[in-house]
Amino acid sequence: MSRDKHLPLTETVYYILLALLEPAHGYLIMQKVEELSAGQVRMAAGTLYGAVDNLLKQKFIQPTASEDSRRKVYVITDLGREMLRQDYERMRHMIEVTNMQWGKEELLHEKI
Amino acid sequence: MKKYKFFTNLDQEEQWLNDMARQGYTLVRKSFGYQFERSVPEEANYRIDFRTFKNQRDFEDYVALFEDSGWTHVAGTKGSGAQYFKQNGDQGNEDIFSDADSKAARYKRISDMWMTLCCCFIPIFAVLISTDAIDASVILKPQSLYYTPGLWEMNGTRFWQAFLFETPFALFRGIVWMVIPVMIIVYSVFAYKAKKEYEKSQRQ
Repeated sequence: MSRDKHLPLTETVYYILLALLEPAHGYLIMQKVEELSAGQVRMAAGTLYGAVDNLLKQKFIQPTASEDSRRKVYVITDLGREMLRQDYERMRHMIEVTNMQWGKEELLHEKI
Repeated sequence: MKKYKFFTNLDQEEQWLNDMARQGYTLVRKSFGYQFERSVPEEANYRIDFRTFKNQRDFEDYVALFEDSGWTHVAGTKGSGAQYFKQNGDQGNEDIFSDADSKAARYKRISDMWMTLCCCFIPIFAVLISTDAIDASVILKPQSLYYTPGLWEMNGTRFWQAFLFETPFALFRGIVWMVIPVMIIVYSVFAYKAKKEYEKSQRQ
């Protein structure tokens, strides 16, 4: 199976897509990303704007109705959800095989 | 106070604006030059982004995001490209970029803009040459720029009078079209410089 050329997603893109499972405007995305990553990913305004711009071009997210006249609100698309799911599967596989390898290593140590 | 300066490196431009603020000049507008107003000297943090927008709505949304994040948009318009921001207080991020790639991407957009301008002039130039609107042979035959009948058969004072009278017009005829190739060269130099800055800042 050939993997989509957009995968693997970068850490920031993954968190932005995850944040946009619910509609949000730019600054709210920044806050959500920080919260979801337990403070590990802190994006600055210019970087976030560029990332959102790219995701719009790739059609992973789309603008949605906004009550705010100034701030645009975005939400994930079906394509975006699919990318998120595929990247999740990729990472889950990595975690499973890592656990398995570590498990084998421990068994080996016990025998010795 | 108005100052005219041209930067190809954005970090140096930001530093210069911070220096000006330290001397008590705060940036209020930027078009061809920098418009400053006298203010209390301060330690400011200016940052520059480069972006153009399709419409006013996109521009407003962009400015709102920066304002929410603790930056005041001090200069720049929908189509100006360069966007000048000044940090409010010292909370929040030091910079408007949090990774090297997005910071470097500014130079990519600048380079693309100069390239687009350059590419607009090339077909105009080609059309002017192919329709003989521009006659490149005047470089070899500058006397053809003088239209006064019988000028080259005149002698003495009459010749000099007529010659000097027509020289400004002749120069104008000969030089006006030169603006286009000069523009093409200048734009491609700027595009090249921005490209170099892009590659340099990507490596950092």
